[in-house]
Amino acid sequence: MWRRSASFVLEKRQLAQAYPPHQQILLSSDDMEPNNLPNPNPNTDHGISAYYQTRAEHHAVVTSDWLAQAQAAVTRNAAMPEVLAKIAATGGSRAAGSGKAFSVIDEFNYWRKKPDLAEAVAAIMALAAFIRSSEAATMMELEIELKKASDTLKSWDTTSISLSAGCDLFMRYVTRTSALEYEDFNAAKLRLIERGEKFGEISLKARRTIAMLGQDFVFDGSTILVHGYSRVVLEVLKLAASNRKMFRVLCTEGRPDRTGLRFSNELAQLGVPVKLLIDSAVAYTMDEVDMVFVGADGVVESGGIINMMGTYQIALVAHCMNKPVYVAAESYKFARLYPLDQKDLAPAIRPIEFGVPIPSGVEVERNARDYTPPQYLTLLFTDLGVLTPSVVSDELIQLYL
Amino acid sequence: MPDVQTLVNDFVLKLKRRKIEGSQASAKQTAELLRSVVSHQRLPYINQATVLLDAVRAVGEQLIAANPVELAVGNIVRRILHIIREEDLTSTASAMEGLSLSANSDDDDNFEREDHPALSAAAVAAAARSTLRAPSLQTLLEGIPESASAPHPSSSGGDSEGKTAERSSRSKKLKHDVIEAINELIQDIETCHEQISEQAVGLIHQNEVILTLGRSRTVKEFLCAANEKKRSFRVFIAEGAPRYLGHVLAKELVAKGLQTTVITDSAVFAMISRVNMVIVGAHAIMANGGVIAPVGINMVALAAQRHAVPFVVVAGSHKLCPLYPHNPEVLLNDFKSPSDLLDFGEFSDCMDFSTSGGSPRLHVVNPAFDFIPSKLVSLFITDTGGHSPSYIYRLIADYYSADDFVVQRRPAS
Repeated sequence: MWRRSASFVLEKRQLAQAYPPHQQILLSSDDMEPNNLPNPNPNTDHGISAYYQTRAEHHAVVTSDWLAQAQAAVTRNAAMPEVLAKIAATGGSRAAGSGKAFSVIDEFNYWRKKPDLAEAVAAIMALAAFIRSSEAATMMELEIELKKASDTLKSWDTTSISLSAGCDLFMRYVTRTSALEYEDFNAAKLRLIERGEKFGEISLKARRTIAMLGQDFVFDGSTILVHGYSRVVLEVLKLAASNRKMFRVLCTEGRPDRTGLRFSNELAQLGVPVKLLIDSAVAYTMDEVDMVFVGADGVVESGGIINMMGTYQIALVAHCMNKPVYVAAESYKFARLYPLDQKDLAPAIRPIEFGVPIPSGVEVERNARDYTPPQYLTLLFTDLGVLTPSVVSDELIQLYL
Repeated sequence: MPDVQTLVNDFVLKLKRRKIEGSQASAKQTAELLRSVVSHQRLPYINQATVLLDAVRAVGEQLIAANPVELAVGNIVRRILHIIREEDLTSTASAMEGLSLSANSDDDDNFEREDHPALSAAAVAAAARSTLRAPSLQTLLEGIPESASAPHPSSSGGDSEGKTAERSSRSKKLKHDVIEAINELIQDIETCHEQISEQAVGLIHQNEVILTLGRSRTVKEFLCAANEKKRSFRVFIAEGAPRYLGHVLAKELVAKGLQTTVITDSAVFAMISRVNMVIVGAHAIMANGGVIAPVGINMVALAAQRHAVPFVVVAGSHKLCPLYPHNPEVLLNDFKSPSDLLDFGEFSDCMDFSTSGGSPRLHVVNPAFDFIPSKLVSLFITDTGGHSPSYIYRLIADYYSADDFVVQRRPAS
């Protein structure tokens, strides 16, 4: 128990200050990361899922100058319509549904490059932009066109769960409310666009709400195990740290993306004592862990989550040792899926570097994520409140019934 | 006003001295106190609900601080805050219907609506409706982020116009409605035992063996109700050391003609294989379905799980607490006097403060409560029916509004 006491945390903090070069090593290794992923073009398919590319891009080191770079790149993109047009031309064959200069996929690609936007938000932004450019004159026509656009978007990347969840949510909103409350078509259209474009704000607010709810669960002297780089989890821990809670974090390495390195870097900058583990050391250290914190790519109808590869394994170990597993996820990640086992979902393929050549005739498991069934999760922190896994299906049924 | 203040101070003192025993008594007295707070509160013409909410919240804060372990007090404070919000909403909604014709003409001090001039009255009403509902996926896109993040979103901008007479009648109406609703709440608390006992016959079958620990009034009434309906069954009572309230319960049940067996607490595992069902009372039910109950019940729950015996918790709905058992102030256990355990005359020489640097060698710890995780509970019986632990969140969403979960505003945030 002694190592959970606040004095121990303090001691660790002093120790950490004695080894400053550690951070520098981290930073330099991180700087190389973006070079490994040179501006992924989703149209040249190497069998790598676009969903994974977004992840890789978003979860690269978010330092201030990197942010500035990304910001500049985005504005440059917007300033060069001919570049966009070119992309639109190459992507035109895919977006056969719309058949116009405007392509919902390009719009989506534009939005998803923004570093702080979640994929579901990008999808909703893209659909809102589609409504803006649409020439439909009646609500019915608009709905049909929108449906087509959302289907194209969904079929463009079938591996992304939050993309389809975002599309479904927005479509549901359009069909359920618009026709009922507004008689005037243009007013309805404007309202839809406004709501869609405001969604970025809603998502940021959701993250803040989750942080507020989640930080209550972090108690003084606790040890938290984190797997994967999740912006929401980071937000929760940030808020907890700024409320002067004394806790320490164990980060898994997160092979092969090294998400743990990025996450631990962020935390170290906040002054939180943090320790890196290799992925296989989870069971070894679970003894000293008080709670497991993970994000989610998608929350499915059973209340289980789909998240970075290894989450299932960690949840199993935590369950065995009676440790709570907390999931932080925004409610727009709730998806209408009901996977029964791991193979029920289309795999999101990613490249895996082993550092040495793989012997010929040996297969490699390249899926990027796994499914964690609800019985291994304790609570979900969402912007709808703190939920038990069984509430998720309730929410989804209420929306889509 | 001064007489209300003395009432509040009296009650706070009672709570602090732990003079009030049992959640039902504290719940009822809290509701009665808050009813007099509401009835004595003078209301201005605008923002009545806000004034009322603030008054109740201010008193509620004192009460909760007086005895944070008695969660029923906080629950009732939150219930009443919810009642005020609800009543305010119904009155605003009815006012809105009357106003919708002239909604565009009123431009004097409708500050609430100025921010969203594009919205129609119907949209405002819809937004107001959604503030009371717990946030859900449906309202995710509809909700207006700015107003939802404001500390007090429910507006009463509707009653800023109209004649003075109308105003005063409406102000009286709100107060009247709230007091009426609080009276109903008190009624519910009083009758919760009967409501729960009604379900006894459906749960207890002929010739069954029931195990319980200690004494809970709800359990007693539950068992008696089944007995009155001519069910014959046997009851094992673990005595519930160190207060031995099980003995009291045994006496009461025997007087009612029930076949009763008293066992020691340590015999629970020995007897559990013969038991068909465990029925216990609770101190509080937390939002995740976990239960705070008299000490010793966690052991019973573990024994029941080991032998796959259903573990049923009976509790009135005033014991439903919207908090999660993560706050240290919630997990605070009450510690009772050591005289329950040891006789001071016999052990006084062990408690000699002069030896070993001022602290005695013998310590006595006498905690009052256990926490039982939700996975050990098979069923909750409340006055609204039987519920599984995973359904508790829904009951809580019905009874409380999300804004009231934290009554005390923390100085930091």
